[in-house]
Amino acid sequence: MMTELFRLEDVTFAHNPNVPPVMDGFSLTIEGGRRTAVLGANGAGKTTLFYTLTGVHRPQKGQVLYNGSPIDYTREGLRDLRSDVAVVLQNPDEQIFCSLVEEDVAFGPLNLGIDRDEVEARVEKALRDMRISEYARRPLQQLSGGQRKRVAIAGALAMQPKIMIMDEPTAGLDPQASMEVMELAEKLRLNGVTVLISTHDIDLVYRWADVSDVLNKGKIEFTGDADEFYSDPERVYDCGLLIPSVYGMNKDVSAVNGMDASPYPHSCSEFTAKFGRPSEVGTVYCVPVEEAEAADRYDSVMKDMRGMCTGVYGPDVRYALRERDVEFRFDAVDACFLKAVEGKDTVLFYDPIYDVSVKEQAKRLGAFGADIRTEAVR
Amino acid sequence: MSDSLLRTEKVTFSYSRKGAKVLDEMDIDIPVGKKTAILGSNGAGKSTLFSVLNALNKPASGKVYYKDAPMSYSHSGKIRMRSEVSILFQNPNEMMFKPYVEQDVAYGPENMKLPKEEVEERVQEALFAVGMEAYRKSPIMKLSYGQRKRVTLAGVLAMRPSVLIMDEPTAGLDPQMAYEVMEIAEQLNSSGVTVIMSSHDTDLVYSWADEIRVLNSSKCVYSGIPEPFYEDYQLVQKAGLLMPSVYRMNRTFANLGKCELEPYPHTQSQLSVKISDRCATDFGVMNVVKVDKDTDIPALLASEGLEGLPIGIYGMSARTARNKTEMSVDFMYNGPENCIRKCLSGEDSVLLCDPIMVDKAVSSADFINGNGYGKIDVRTV
Repeated sequence: MMTELFRLEDVTFAHNPNVPPVMDGFSLTIEGGRRTAVLGANGAGKTTLFYTLTGVHRPQKGQVLYNGSPIDYTREGLRDLRSDVAVVLQNPDEQIFCSLVEEDVAFGPLNLGIDRDEVEARVEKALRDMRISEYARRPLQQLSGGQRKRVAIAGALAMQPKIMIMDEPTAGLDPQASMEVMELAEKLRLNGVTVLISTHDIDLVYRWADVSDVLNKGKIEFTGDADEFYSDPERVYDCGLLIPSVYGMNKDVSAVNGMDASPYPHSCSEFTAKFGRPSEVGTVYCVPVEEAEAADRYDSVMKDMRGMCTGVYGPDVRYALRERDVEFRFDAVDACFLKAVEGKDTVLFYDPIYDVSVKEQAKRLGAFGADIRTEAVR
Repeated sequence: MSDSLLRTEKVTFSYSRKGAKVLDEMDIDIPVGKKTAILGSNGAGKSTLFSVLNALNKPASGKVYYKDAPMSYSHSGKIRMRSEVSILFQNPNEMMFKPYVEQDVAYGPENMKLPKEEVEERVQEALFAVGMEAYRKSPIMKLSYGQRKRVTLAGVLAMRPSVLIMDEPTAGLDPQMAYEVMEIAEQLNSSGVTVIMSSHDTDLVYSWADEIRVLNSSKCVYSGIPEPFYEDYQLVQKAGLLMPSVYRMNRTFANLGKCELEPYPHTQSQLSVKISDRCATDFGVMNVVKVDKDTDIPALLASEGLEGLPIGIYGMSARTARNKTEMSVDFMYNGPENCIRKCLSGEDSVLLCDPIMVDKAVSSADFINGNGYGKIDVRTV
């Protein structure tokens, strides 16, 4: 069930009266629980939109409703709003407040008046989710840009927000770290957090998003299903964007083969299922498992499944199985599904919370002619 | 003796005497004239390696060779290396030295103590190459991030380097600007410049690079063409990397018997042609039209009978000539690839191309024509 979290009504904002508005009559609804992508060229107004959602910018015209009521710009009102809405900025240095990593991650929750024990537990969890526990007592200046980015995300996680806004969360991160961030975004969603991501990585976000909001020169150009947006190349160019590669290839090969472009594959496994037309598909043996049991489960399961490819999904299981030989350590759902399309069986270990997500993706793949089996391993 | 332009031999470097080794007896070589990608996770030592390759940092031990001669760290030696090997840093704001565009671009050549006329000529040429001629007198403060990136690139070009190193050139750029930067690098490579790039964009690198070098834990753990590296999932994992999606999908299609594993496709159109059902005879013709910056494009197209076809654009002179007309272009970005895609769908296409890029544009049909996937006629006009 969708709930309306934010509603922007004809919102206009300019940094000062002498320059053109960065947001020029934005009307936009942000629904709870949907993976929302915010797209646009540099300067389209994405960051300004985010600052408006957290009450940093107050529009000169129009209003912003949060949960049905206009944002309360008093000190208390903004504190409440910001305890619900966390933002990870593109440049981590803009939101680093303390000298040590763990202090910095604790800064937000402490400011909300949460007691120290609880804050400590949150910090520990957030650091581990971002794989930076070993840096807890390191000064931030000594960390690389990618590591500081992780600290900034950990700081937002520790707030336990209802809405997580991530501005270019994967920029500057190496490929594995980017995948971890996307996994975390999915975990947040499964925990009931609404996630907004703005990114220039068109391919990454095309796979991820349920809904795409496209901004162009201070206006909302499009809001809805990405496949509809990309069907108009001129409009895409005009917005400073490009067509995702899977979208482009699907269009090309579908046209040549005389197939319908729909359903639109969004991932490698969906694309190969659509055009590879597998006669026989494999099984993905699913092992949702808690961190503490993961290693033992792996050893016992793999006794029976010797020789099969394995994947891990989720920060806890990945950490627990770091010493095991796992073929797909990142992006494992798509990788295991790809194997299934090839007709091979795989074993997928994941944090139990992702169960819904794995099943959803398997169901999507079914629409492309690959009815892979996902079988729970007892 | 070798085809390597830059080479390190057991190079060790750390930022302080007791600090961790960022480079640890690293051996790496950069082939001349090619496009080489340096891959590795955050903190693998990529940026430090770059600083060693242009004598910005001197290794604690080991040797760096440029054109087979050991690098000199004398003042004049360093100045020379910095003009031979130019680095485009990730953040343009760190490379801006002067308040106005033309001053900033002139900064490097002036430091090389070149005569005034030569500096002027280089500034003009570099600003043209990045499409920023019109902003010559603009204050840098007023430019957008993407424009600043182009100005810093112009500053690098004005040094007329033999080697261009780009550290995460597309980070923070929107997709179109990212393509523009990549096209400029392609243009330089066409004119003989050796290009080195680091990037976290796995798919971009795979479509771009002739060769890759993978850094992990302060060492170079892989040198060569990409495929053998991506075969080895343990090595890929350890290096903090992922397999390119085109590579993964090609492998799955091969395992399904839909196509052979080799030749490996590196671009969308290459994968598409491998897996589509089209019989090989009815591809369109790609017309590669050489365009100088003063060419009257509509007149040329009319005289060649090429009006009304989908048009792509490639290279700076073609962009400049096009900006003088009102004509619309279908593919402002990734011109050759998009024109090939049109041909695969059976339509003819026109690629307006900088003369220096013609060979590159023509060769984009090689994968299809050379491997029995059919024939795209490429007509050079």
